[in-house]
Amino acid sequence: MLRMLARIFEKPLDIKRAFPLFKQILESNNRALEVIADMGETMGGDYLFDINYIDNAYSMLSRHLTTSMQDFGSLTKNRYQLEDKFDRIDSLINSVLLGSDIGNRELVLTYDRITWTMAREVGGKNYHLSELVNNLDLNIPAAFAITAHSCTEFFRHNRLQERISSLGGNDISPEELADVREAILKGDIPRDLDSAIESAIMKLDEINAAALTLAVRSSAEDEDGEFTFAGQFQSVLNVRPRKDDVERAYKEVLSSLFADDSVVYQRQLGYAIGSLRMPVACVSMVDAVSSGVLYTESPDMARKGTMMISASWGLGISVVQGHTEADLFIVKKAAVPELVESKVGGKAVMTVTKENGGVEEIHTPADLCNKLCITEKEIMELSLCAMTIEKYYKRPQDIEWAYGKDGKLYILQSRPLVIQEENTSDEDITDVEEIQNPAIIKNAGFVVQKGTASGKVFLLKNPSELELVPRGAILVAKNDSPQYIKAMPRAAAIITDTGTPASHMASICREFRIPTLVNTGNATNILHHGQEITLYAADEGNSTVYDGRVGVLIDRGRKQQRRMEELYEFRKKKYIMGYISALNLVDPLVDEFTTDKCKTVHDILRFMHEESVQALIEASLHAGRRSALKRLEISIPAGIWIIDMGGGLTAGAGDIVTAEDVLSEPFKALIQGMSYPGAWHTEAVPLKMGDLLSSISRMPGLTSDEAGIGGKNIAVISGEYVNLSLKFGYHYNLLDCYLNENPKNNHIYFRFVGGATDIGKRSRRIRLLDIVLKEYGLDTQIKGDLIIGRISNIATEETIKILDHAGRLIAYSRQLDTVLVNDSLVEKYAQRFLAGNYKI
Amino acid sequence: MSKRIMIIDDEKIVCEMAKISLEEDSYEVETFLNGTSALERLEQRKFDVVVTDLKMKGIDGLQVLKTVKENYPDTKVIMITAFANLDIAIEAIKGDVFDFFPKPVKIKELKASIQKALSE
Repeated sequence: MLRMLARIFEKPLDIKRAFPLFKQILESNNRALEVIADMGETMGGDYLFDINYIDNAYSMLSRHLTTSMQDFGSLTKNRYQLEDKFDRIDSLINSVLLGSDIGNRELVLTYDRITWTMAREVGGKNYHLSELVNNLDLNIPAAFAITAHSCTEFFRHNRLQERISSLGGNDISPEELADVREAILKGDIPRDLDSAIESAIMKLDEINAAALTLAVRSSAEDEDGEFTFAGQFQSVLNVRPRKDDVERAYKEVLSSLFADDSVVYQRQLGYAIGSLRMPVACVSMVDAVSSGVLYTESPDMARKGTMMISASWGLGISVVQGHTEADLFIVKKAAVPELVESKVGGKAVMTVTKENGGVEEIHTPADLCNKLCITEKEIMELSLCAMTIEKYYKRPQDIEWAYGKDGKLYILQSRPLVIQEENTSDEDITDVEEIQNPAIIKNAGFVVQKGTASGKVFLLKNPSELELVPRGAILVAKNDSPQYIKAMPRAAAIITDTGTPASHMASICREFRIPTLVNTGNATNILHHGQEITLYAADEGNSTVYDGRVGVLIDRGRKQQRRMEELYEFRKKKYIMGYISALNLVDPLVDEFTTDKCKTVHDILRFMHEESVQALIEASLHAGRRSALKRLEISIPAGIWIIDMGGGLTAGAGDIVTAEDVLSEPFKALIQGMSYPGAWHTEAVPLKMGDLLSSISRMPGLTSDEAGIGGKNIAVISGEYVNLSLKFGYHYNLLDCYLNENPKNNHIYFRFVGGATDIGKRSRRIRLLDIVLKEYGLDTQIKGDLIIGRISNIATEETIKILDHAGRLIAYSRQLDTVLVNDSLVEKYAQRFLAGNYKI
Repeated sequence: MSKRIMIIDDEKIVCEMAKISLEEDSYEVETFLNGTSALERLEQRKFDVVVTDLKMKGIDGLQVLKTVKENYPDTKVIMITAFANLDIAIEAIKGDVFDFFPKPVKIKELKASIQKALSE
């Protein structure tokens, strides 16, 4: 709101100053994006790189970003505080570069506050569960983490640190360990931690309306999940949500760091005793009807490509510990998973919660023993969820799950599944040569993210269809757009006709590690919707799209990538990229497109780009009031007056100019469209009485400022730019475009508001504009009788084509509302227009 | 029998990534974070190719190169280094290094160079 008010009341910058700043911002942003692209590529697994490389690349990136922020500050009269945002990001990145731990002195964290920088502080179990809810939006029980810092504080408060340090030797006696455990159990909880736990329990109580108990478990896996310490530390189940009970359970879990067996195990892994700090997970217990374990890859090689579900009544402990003969389901992995086998287990025992805390194993009621404990529908839901998790972690997962009495699926844990690899190390390029599948596209375009994927083609016609992209599909589109992030959790790969390796989308694809090929030229013509294909993107000049599924390539690609990603150092460096290339600001048309959402360098760049376009539009509109104008005379009576900022008109152009005098490429294309034979209707369309009353009763709103001055339609132009604001009767139409040879710089912004007719007709016209703009690839937003359409990162030729058609649309839609007397005509006239029939 | 490759770089990530990448091509790979331990290992075992970083604390890449050329003349040495050290690297090339790569090193090109070194 404040931003909007600032825009209304603040005088924008003079266009003659604004335009060069805009161009400088584009230039700096592009350089910054190129550095991000280079970092993404170099750190993606194809290069050996060291810390010097990251240092140098990051300082170059900071330089470009700082320059751009300075220009942006001048352009927007310091309306936004981006420097603060960058300072925070910069200090986080530097703390990783300098090798210091990222500071986190929180004692207790609810899962919504956990980010990747806290992985070490909250431990593997908490971290991975928080990822499932924060990044994948999966349903997990409400929970909080007690951090490693709390553990340190607890030891410090109870003066246990020295005692623990003295255990360092190899011959610790069981008595010494028992003493330490005893001291922990008797220890006091520090006051800050005590109140942090209390308030976390209260928050959980608000979420879980029903009676709640907690599972208090160790979260002391290392952050890569390499050492899971499975079963080494104590878990306390069914803990009542009372501070004292939770704190007692917490101390029990901490004390298990010094259990005899656990100490032996820690030594085997090379940990000095007392060096581990234990974060703890407090997770709401699910009142489970059924629960169990799912392996996203069957351990049985003969069943490759299938998942295995073990399920039993009640809590999952009986299944995990193998106490009961569970139901077994085999599900084939596919876009729509297929249940291929069900086997009823005896399920002689089941685990249930006890009323006064704790759990117990009881005999399963006879009528349930031989009955499958989950339905086919639940199996499908669970399978889809498991495939999402596997895709996210890019390796097979071992998932604990439960169905609650509320009918909801809960994911309780996901960790890497260790399975025997098939010995396929001899597979090499020969396999590629032996592939029988026809190659449909070979060595075209740029490989943005290498990798291999197969799936069915989803041919995207306009961005509104992104929600429809099914799981495992290969997204094929004309342009590249950061909005595709909406489909990325589901897309197996992305192929586009245009695009560059340094675009916003390219950075996100690297971030998500989605195999991506851009700028193929004509993939949308070659590939058809629903066709099964395999993308093999190895390197620049070495990519192929095959018809059908090429299994040998898929298997090999997966394995290589996994090994590299398991490296701790590699992942640490990749973490840095999480603050650089990740993108949270996806859609400029939504309200959350604010500085507060700028969490990464990429966000800041995107924010500056979008807001610079807005600032330029404002400056252009304002320019019309003060500048020397030249009148444009063309074949239609559009009444356009021109302000040339340089290079937009021929040198000798007089006060009255013709189309031939126009040098501005984007303006030329627009005029050509507007003057297209038949598009501009010269005869007046009669208004009905209702329309007249409607138009009289509406005061021109704030938007009227934007449409020219004194009834003039204004075009602010340069060789590469046009801002055309038109007022025709009661509607205002604005088109802003920057166009040069670099697709990354190009944008088109289209806005249409108002009209003379009643709201029904006006909104029908808006719907028609929506259909047409979407067809040209613009992303749109409608509010009442206002429509905004945007597209950016478009190839030069494509931009000119869209401008030409936008020009025709401006002309055609001028009086169209008067004829749109019923809803059925919207689609009819839209299709007519798209077919080139401009008759009204 | 697999060919043996030694990687020496004081940055763990370089060693680990190189090891994974080269093992994919069925080489036997050993990695060392400093020149001293690498030279000790060379006394025990023959390596076909040594890939070494130039600038390291203690025994640097040039010393590794010198020792290898003197004592194990059949072993080829490939030098990798930060771009800033280009002049020294050119000196190194004169000193009979088989190949030289500025960092970041494209793994594919390093593999091609190793293959070439082994076929000579």
